[in-house]
Amino acid sequence: MFLALLTKDRTVFTELGTEAIEKGLADPQLSAFYESMMSSSGLVSEKLREHMPYLSLCSDKLEGNGPPPIFYVGRRSSQRHLFGEDWAMQQGQELRTPDPDLEEASAAAYRAALEERPYYGYARTSIHMEDKVVDIAFERLIIALRPSPKSDRRFCAYFGVIQDLQQL
Amino acid sequence: MQTPPFIISEIHVPSQLKPRADNVVKLKAEIDKHNLTDMWDMILMLDYQVANVRELSSETREEFCCIISLLLKAFTK
Repeated sequence: MFLALLTKDRTVFTELGTEAIEKGLADPQLSAFYESMMSSSGLVSEKLREHMPYLSLCSDKLEGNGPPPIFYVGRRSSQRHLFGEDWAMQQGQELRTPDPDLEEASAAAYRAALEERPYYGYARTSIHMEDKVVDIAFERLIIALRPSPKSDRRFCAYFGVIQDLQQL
Repeated sequence: MQTPPFIISEIHVPSQLKPRADNVVKLKAEIDKHNLTDMWDMILMLDYQVANVRELSSETREEFCCIISLLLKAFTK
């Protein structure tokens, strides 16, 4: 299904909807994360532990044109794989992806996850990093979660799966 | 140059550990102040599988502090 969408000439950010996960069309690990979180009604529980290495977590703070700042990058997450160890543990300022265009294009999905329901979609784009440009295709699931039942805090959990990655 | 007044401390803390310990205390105070204690507990329990930050090795504690610094920035700036 997704291979048909791999058109190199244009940037694509499209929502597929969580129905695609329920129909078995998504990555198996991503699907397992989705099912686990749905079974706990968006509340953090022990079930989250096994998925933590694959997640990036960000706040619920939507300001300007970008997604919320990131505070946690799982050891085996797609963002750590893509942007590197130094990026994941950088200090001094808010943690954001290094390409402003990517930030802007990805923001709507976070807004949807925070204001409506979990977002599942597909993207293909070029990402400009400090020393290189890569062409990438990926699935992404974003779910808003609460750390505890009484908490008035929410955060976004991002599960990305890189399908295709080529250095240009 | 005059030497500053000498203060006797009963507890000896190796000087190389002081900044780290101070950092954890400061970060926890900031976390509590900004109502992010649930998030602190969640990361400790789920990622590091401990209930208290004192159970972490110094290296792991440093990594945890990096995450907490980013957490504060992500929610409060």
